[in-house]
Parts: sequence; C-alpha cells; structure tokens
Amino acid sequence: MKNLQADVVIIGTGPAGLAASVEASEAGLKVIAFEKQNVSGGAANMGMGPLGIGTRHQQDQMVDIDVEKAFKMFMEYTHWRVDANMVKKYFEASAGTIAWLEDLGVEFAGAYKYFPKSEATWHIVAVNGGIGRNGGAIMNKAMLDKAQENGAEFFYETPAKKILRDAEGKICGVDAVDKDGEEIHVDCKVVIVATGGAGDSPEYMKERMGYTFGKDLFNIVIPGLKGEGIKMAIAAGAATTEMTVEKIYILPNSDMGVQSVPVVFMQPNLLVNVQGKRFINEEMMQNTTFTGNAIQIQKGAIGFSIIDSNIIKTYKKKGLDVVNFVHHVSDIDDFEQACQDIVNDPANPDVVIADTLEELAEKCGIEDVDQFLETVEEYNDMCESQDTLFYKPSKYMKPIKKGPFYAGLFRPSGYGTLGGIKINENCEVLDDDWNVIPGFYAAGTDTCTIYGDSYMFLLPGNTMGYCVNTGRFAGQGAAEYCEED
Amino acid sequence: MAEVRLTIDGRQITCDENKTVLEAALDNGIYIPHLCYHEDLHPNGGCRLCVVKQEGVDGVITSCSTKVKEGMVIQTKDELAEKIRKLSCDFMFKTHPSECTGCPKYGKCQLASISQYVGDTGRNLREMKIRASADESNPLMLHEMYRCILCGRCVRACGELRGVSALKFAKVDGRMRVVIDGESLAKADCRFCGACVEVCPTGSIRDKVGVFREDLPRDLSLVPCRGECPAHIDIPAYLRAVNEGDCDKAVAIIREKVPFPHALGLVCNNRCEDGCKHKDLNSPVSIRNIKRFAAEHDETQSWKEKYLKVADRTGKKVAVIGGGACGLTAAYYLNKKGHDVTVFESKNIPGGHMTSGMPEYRIPTKAVLDEIKVIEDSGVQIICDHPIDNAAELKKEYDAVLVAIGTSVGKKLTYLPGSDLPQVYSALEILQAQRLNKEIDLGDTVNIIGGGNVAFDVAGTAIRMGKTVNVICLEKDASQASPEERDAALEEGTNLFDSHSNEAILGDGKVTGLQVHKISSFHFDPETRALVEEPIPDSTYVIPCDSIVFAAGQVTGLTEDFGIELNKFGYPIDPATGASGYKTSVDGVFSAGDVITGTRFLIDAIAGGRDVASLMDQYLGGDGMIDETLTERYANPYIGRIDGFAEIERNEMTERDAAARKMDFAPVSEGFTCDEALCETGRCLQCDLRLQLAPQKFWNDYVAVGEGGEQ
Repeated sequence: MKNLQADVVIIGTGPAGLAASVEASEAGLKVIAFEKQNVSGGAANMGMGPLGIGTRHQQDQMVDIDVEKAFKMFMEYTHWRVDANMVKKYFEASAGTIAWLEDLGVEFAGAYKYFPKSEATWHIVAVNGGIGRNGGAIMNKAMLDKAQENGAEFFYETPAKKILRDAEGKICGVDAVDKDGEEIHVDCKVVIVATGGAGDSPEYMKERMGYTFGKDLFNIVIPGLKGEGIKMAIAAGAATTEMTVEKIYILPNSDMGVQSVPVVFMQPNLLVNVQGKRFINEEMMQNTTFTGNAIQIQKGAIGFSIIDSNIIKTYKKKGLDVVNFVHHVSDIDDFEQACQDIVNDPANPDVVIADTLEELAEKCGIEDVDQFLETVEEYNDMCESQDTLFYKPSKYMKPIKKGPFYAGLFRPSGYGTLGGIKINENCEVLDDDWNVIPGFYAAGTDTCTIYGDSYMFLLPGNTMGYCVNTGRFAGQGAAEYCEED
Repeated sequence: MAEVRLTIDGRQITCDENKTVLEAALDNGIYIPHLCYHEDLHPNGGCRLCVVKQEGVDGVITSCSTKVKEGMVIQTKDELAEKIRKLSCDFMFKTHPSECTGCPKYGKCQLASISQYVGDTGRNLREMKIRASADESNPLMLHEMYRCILCGRCVRACGELRGVSALKFAKVDGRMRVVIDGESLAKADCRFCGACVEVCPTGSIRDKVGVFREDLPRDLSLVPCRGECPAHIDIPAYLRAVNEGDCDKAVAIIREKVPFPHALGLVCNNRCEDGCKHKDLNSPVSIRNIKRFAAEHDETQSWKEKYLKVADRTGKKVAVIGGGACGLTAAYYLNKKGHDVTVFESKNIPGGHMTSGMPEYRIPTKAVLDEIKVIEDSGVQIICDHPIDNAAELKKEYDAVLVAIGTSVGKKLTYLPGSDLPQVYSALEILQAQRLNKEIDLGDTVNIIGGGNVAFDVAGTAIRMGKTVNVICLEKDASQASPEERDAALEEGTNLFDSHSNEAILGDGKVTGLQVHKISSFHFDPETRALVEEPIPDSTYVIPCDSIVFAAGQVTGLTEDFGIELNKFGYPIDPATGASGYKTSVDGVFSAGDVITGTRFLIDAIAGGRDVASLMDQYLGGDGMIDETLTERYANPYIGRIDGFAEIERNEMTERDAAARKMDFAPVSEGFTCDEALCETGRCLQCDLRLQLAPQKFWNDYVAVGEGGEQ
C-alpha cells in the first residue's frame, strides 16, 4: 500500500485527461494521473486532429465558418436536445485551443473537411510537415511532455479503482492498483474522470443501450475502454446520462486488412438490403454515421455494397470517386486478390464474389433475389438518366453489368460510446438533484452528450475537439476550485 | 570490470565497458527509440531505430550493437539519425496495418508508441501489406502475422533464450515472414512458455482471450496455477524442484505458503489444475499428486531449521480456538511473528476435519500428526480436550483470540419423520467415530441420505467397517459429488439410489428402513430454499436398513453464549460490514476458516489462516508480513526441445483394486512412482519463466517514474 498526496487526480490520460493535466499543472497544482494502458493518448492516438472554429488556419484558407454559424447548424441538427451552454462554450473555446496546442509545439497541416458536405473544421495534426495518419498521437505527446515538464506524474498500467468523498460530500481521494497488485491511495481535492467510454465492453453497451454484440453491433474494440470511469463516477454519486454509440459501418473482419477492400466497397455505388432493395442515397456512404444508422435499421442489420468489374477497372484507371484522409490508399491494384483472399478464408464472411448477379445474391443471403435483380435493372436504367429514387448525383451512378461481381457485407459498428456522466458546462459532475459535487470533474467521451442521437459529422474533429476542450475546462475548473479552497 | 566514461547528449556518463551505447543511455534515463532490441536477447541491429550520431564517425551507428568506448561523444537527437528513424518507422508501416482500429494490442503496442515518439506514423512509402490470415488453430496463442514487423524478437526468444526454435524466418511468396517451424506449434515441439508473446512488440503473437485472468496482478495472472491456488503456492518452482530430484527443496517451496504439504497432497481439491494451461493441450499437470510425492520423499527435511526459526518474542499472548487446519496455520505464523500462541482443541486430537472429518484411507492420521508436530516444534502450544465456551471471556486473558472452530456439527433433516430415532446420525458422527475409535451402533445396513462428496466419504468408511451401504440422493447420478469419489465408492460396493426423495425414517424405537419415492426432477425454490420436486406416481417403497446417516451439510453449532455476534445461521459477523469476515463484534477477537465461509476445502482454511494471521499480527503491533523464503530458486530459461512435448499424456496414480482396498483403511494409492513424478513434472509449461523476461518499456516510462508524491 502506497500513500500519495496530490491536488488533482486525473483518471485516464486520453486527450481530455492530458489537456486537464496540462491546465492543472500549469496553475501550479500537484497532478497525479492514472493510466491503465502502457501509453497515454487513449483512442485519440488513432485520430488525426481536433475541431476548431474561427482559427487562424480557417482565416488563411478563407473558410467561411464561425461560432454563430456552427452553433446554429449544430443546434438545428440536434433539435436542441443537447446542452446549448456547453456547445456554445466549447465552440467558442475551440479556436483558442488550437492556438494553445500550437503553443505546445503541435503543428497543424490545416483545416479540412471530412467529406464534401462537411465543414472545414477538422484541424489535422501535421505528420512530417504534412497529412499523415495518427497525428493525434503526436498532439497527445506534446500535451504529455508539457504536463510532465510542469511536474505532473503519470502512473501507467495503474487503473484507478475508486473515487472517495468525505463526510461533507467533497472529493477527498482516489484508490488505484498497479500492475503488480500494489494498492495506491492518493489524498486529493479534485478528481477528473476522463476514461473514454465503454467501447470495449459489450456487456455495458448491452446494459445501457440494448445492443447485442455480433448481431446488431460489430467490432467496437478500442482495448481497455470498459466504462470503468463511468461506473466509478456513478458509484461516487454522479448522475448518469443517456449513452449512445458513435455509429459507423464496417466490414467487421476486413477493416484492418488490405485497405483497398473497405475503400472500394465504401465508394458511392449500389447499396442494398437483405430484401434486395436500395435504402440510402449512396452518396451518404461518406457520412459513416448516417450510413451506420441506415444499415442498423435494415432487416438483420446488414447492407450489401455491390460493384462490378467495370467499376473496378474505372477506379484503377481514373481513381476512386471519393477519398478521405482516413480511408486513403495510393492505388487499388490488389483489390481483386485481397477479395479472393477473404473469400478463401472461412472465418471471414465479409466479401462475396460471383460471376452472375443471381449467384451473388444467393451467396450473400439476399432473401428476395428477383427483387434484387429488379433493383439492379432499375439502377442501371437510372444510370442512363438520373436517380429518381434517392437523388444521388449522376457522377456517382455507375451501372452494375459485368462479372465477376463483388459484394461487401457492411455491418453497423462504432468508434465507441458517448456519454455516461452528467456534467454542466464547466465540467463539474452533478448528482441526481443536479447539485455540483465539490471537487468532482469529468471530461471527454465519458460525458459527451452534445450530439444527441447521432454523431455530428458535418463539423468534423468533434470527438477529439470536445475531449481536448472539456479537458481544459476541467483542468481550469480544478485550478479555480483549489484556489477557493 | 572496467568502467568507461562517455558523453550522451551532453551528459557525462560512467558505465561498465561491456554495455552498449543504447544500454548506457537507457540506464541513465536517456531514451533512444528501439524495437528489435530486447534486454534479454542478443542484439541484431535490424530495425535501425536506435541509430545515433557518434562524433568523429561518418553517418550514424546503431546504438544497440555498438559497445561503449572511453571518450565517446554521442548525439541521440542528431538530424540524420532522426531522419533515418522516421524512415525505419515508415518501412514498418509498409507492411503493418496502417490503422490501429480493432487491434487488441492498442494501448500496449510498442510500434505505436515509437511511431508517436519519432513523430512518423507511416504512409510516406507505398503499402505492401502482408497477406497472412489470422491463425487461431494453435492452443493458447494466436498468430496475426499481418501485423508482424519482422523485428525477430520472438524468433530469438524461442531460439537463443529457450533453445526451442519453434519459430523461424522463412520466405513465403517471395517475402520474408516469421513462421512456425512445422504444421502447428505442437508439431514444432513448442514448449508453450509464452516467451514469443511476451517479447512481441505488436499484436502479431498474442495470448488467446481468456487464457489469463485480467483481475490478478501480473505474477499471479501469468502463472495461472499459482493464481488459482488460494494460498498462491509457487507451483512451477516446486514442480521444477521435483523434476530436478530435489523433493526437500520442493517441500520447502510449498511450506513457504502452507504448513500442510502432505495433507494437501492427499486431499486438496486442486483448483491449481483448473488454471493449468496444459489443459488446452491435453489435460492439466497432476499437480496435487506431485505435491504428495514431494511430501513423501522429503527425506532430509532441509527446510526445517529455517522453518522453525521464530522472531524475537513480543510478549503478546494469542489464543486460537480450534486446532484444525485454519487455526494451526494461523498459530504457526503468529508464533513465527513472535507471539505466544496457545491452541485450544475440544477433541482429544488436533487436526480438525483432517483427523476426524475425512476418512482415514484418504488422509492418514499419522501424516497429519507429523505435520502438526512441526508446528508444535516451532513453539505453538496445543491443548486438547479443552473446549472453549465463550470467546469474549477468553479475550480477557489474551491479547488476541482467533475463532477457528470450523463447521463441526453435522446437520440432520429434523422435518423427516423418524429423524429422532437413536440410529440416526450425521456424517461427521460416523467419520469421527471411526477415526477416533468410538463405539457407534450402525447395524448391518446403512442408508446414507445425501449425494455430495461427504456422502461418499461416509459410504467408503461404512463399507470398510463391513456394512452394506446405500446412498439415497435427489440428483441423477449423484451429480453433486466429484465423479472420481462417487465411482470409487460404487466400485467398492456402495448401492446408489439416485433421483430418490425421502418420505420417512421407519422404525419403532429402532430404525428399520427408509421410505422413499422416485422423482423425475427437482429444484430448490430460490426464495425459500424449499425443495420443489416432480414425484413419479406410485413409486413409494421402503429401503430397509439398520441406521440412517445424514450427509446434508454442517454448521458451526455456535450460540449467543459464545460471546460474539452471530447471524441467524450461527456464523460470526463483523458488525462493520454485516457479513462474516476476519473481524468479529469483539475487538481483538478474530474469526477465519469454515466458521466464516461455511464448509469449504482444506486449502481455503489454510489460506484463511494465513490471511487472518497477517491481520492479527498487525493488530498486535507487527508488520503483518508472513511471507517467507525457505530456499533459493533458479529456473534455467534454456528449456530446450522435447520431441512430441505437447502430446505427453497426464500420468495417473495406480490405485489398489476396489476388492482389496475395501478391506482396510490404508491409502487407496501408493502415490506416483519416481518415473511417473519425473514425467509428470516434465509436462509443466513453466509459465513462470515468462516473468523472468524484462517487461516491455515505452518511451514514456523513461520520464514517468512517479514517486515524488510518496509520503
């Protein structure tokens, strides 16, 4: 048993916990952070950058977005079902946060859209001076370096277990256990919970949202996100909120493999359901949230992306219809071979190849083959004129005619969960009567309910942006609280 | 060993001349990225991440393969070096998946961590992904070699460190890959030590999900037998000692955690074997029987001198009520910590269930008394025939009291008509009568009511007393009992009446039979715990007998007169929690073993005795540290190859024929022969070797040593 003393204990060191650790340590507070993984950064190490509104980059690039415009579209999108004060405060702080990160040494490649219809709010962290992958990891390192320079201490492989409150109800300590099983107790005034949700806990997702893993939800696996922060906070008296999944759609077994496979199947071609009907304007397939939602409500929670050999040939010659930074490949030369590898792997049912459309439908398990053939015929006709069903732009209308045909079997998945701990716009944790619990803060995904039912993809960078900004709010709040105390 | 001085990033460093530049830097908290380097393995300089600039040398050098030299000047953050590192990183992402999504190693991946540190996350080079599919066909470990970056640590660990070489580099479809040297790990004579998993920096080779418990500290989790044992006996270490022919050493290792190696070797319910990873290959190592072998071949008892050594006397007096396994274990450790301990035993012999609650043929009295003698030799005083009526009163004379009376009163189902007849007994009454040579009127035929292990203990005992024995139980095939114990009793001639429910004990002043009927199913009401059964119509009949034995569980037999607060079932409670625990309602009076847990197994009582002794020592002003080291250990990591290792079958002890063994109370088996013990210990996967390997470190570990806030 080890006894430690601190002003602030931070549970979880993703971008929210790291931002909080920088702010609190910057204010001269003694900060101890517990991380159960070997590295800090959390899921954001896979991300590319946070949202910013009204930044220098947007001004330089003449991007027309400001807080008022973003706020209005956001509240319209969420039907005002979310905390307007938090949204406003977050958006207003976001430009300053980008500058703050730059002061920490983070370079940004610029402000970007995720897909054509979105706004250029995504501030992508420069990797080797340009756009690379996983820039979030570099941003997180900058925050960690700063916090450590300020004297914050980080304990790895040391999950926090319990948040303690004193007789008056104020936060007074945290218990943790290191990898060798030694118990650590810290006396502290402030706890900031930022553990990133429950994206690796099918049980908790079932309990809170009713999803059944492998049936109507697939492969949300960001190792370690077990919802412990949410459970710990609730156990310590926090009120809970509605939880949602940050929905996407994936090929459950092939998302990690050869990149050309998911990339080609995510192109805006023909997407049908198990009844053989279209159910979406495939242009939307770039909006992974909307498409995830649409697939979720189909029978069997499955969507079949259909392409033919002509389309592959066109893509090889002229390039893909749509690319984004996440799904980015230099070429798709290995597409057919990679598909064949998947077909040969009995453990991977994600791809079907067939010489005829009938055979394709049967192999896919499409229940109404005649309907499917009719859908393809109508679709092909519309390719000559226009999409009178869902109004997809003509440039994305490519007929399905030449075998072999390929189908990618898409399923709903998610980037993780959202929400769980009730806070106000200052990131103070509230109890069931909406009273502030003194010294108790939470930030990041554990608290993020600002999107309502579906992730707001029109302002990309939102997940990480919310985390960094609320992390800062929590750290600043902790500093004020300790000063008053 | 000569020392040399060198400069790294402007810092003067003095170190041993045999160190490499990388080691010198890391030892001094200067991080240089490295991946193919592992401190337990021979460097191969392949990943090129650890390049640094050496003043006066053109280009860069690999710091993992360059020895330090006097006067060397090293720059780790040299521009060229950083450029090469980024390029190396990029090369790894040519083959490694560019997205971490879905990778179970995420958050513990050295490649991701290095990429974060180097600031290069790939994608500048054209991707050339490895088309290898995930392979879960091997036991214990899985291979997702499309994540492999060819650092070769697994190949070196398996080859140089273990001498097994089940993994190798090979060209597949014209590209270099790490592959299994054979059709499967088993065919490659893998020893399943897990070193490859331990050193893999990415998610390429991993433990299968569920192989290790996540709720235990590392040293227990990675060695599941040790983790599952309630006393955490260092099982791989004593198996190794037996394998080396050193049973004394094995017993020393066992005695570091438990004072009853022989008793446990005979009757432990061996939960260690549930953890044994060998079960995924064929069947677990027969750990309990090896323990018995060690205890029975412990000729010189070389551990004894250290074992009997006790701390300076504290002057504190402790009374232990109950001389069973729990009480005696606690007594041994409390005496060891310097307290004067007196054990009060109500019967005329110590040992509790070991000497009077289990059959002699399973656990001979002599074996138990020999082990108790050692505890006495260490200075514990045991007073027999001395029941204690009130623990609170006793506390007035002692600094601390432990209530460890177990569950020593057998339950009788008093609602059954006729249960007050004179020849109606509890299981414990029969077992005690036999062990303690007391007269008991059983007649010729005994009907035992109950279908658990105790029922069959009574059956075996009564058979050996020359009786005709019937076991009557609700469960089909007496499924509550362990199949081995049930079958052994049936072989010896016990008659089983399964799926039977009881109506009444018949007899007028003397038992004449048991009236029963058959049932098709039954369950217990979850609310009231009352029996709910589906009787078969018109199936009532009588099983004649001269006596009835209830094997229906045991209780503490405590009443309020004992001076401590009890729950409604007669178990002591800790008012602070409302549940049974080590503390009772009286300050300084503790409780442990079956008396707080209900009837459990021997090892649970011993583990409880250890825990409560530690707590009581702290209560008496000590540090509570009861762990002891009785022998040194060395585990040779170079385990080498054994042909057909994975297929070696589990050894079983040879048992005497039922016809012979039912004639006396001698043990059913003589135990393992030397050959059997040697073979069986050789099956051990030596999971503990993995703990010898240096844990993987990350760049943040070199700046994040968090001790500053310690009080």
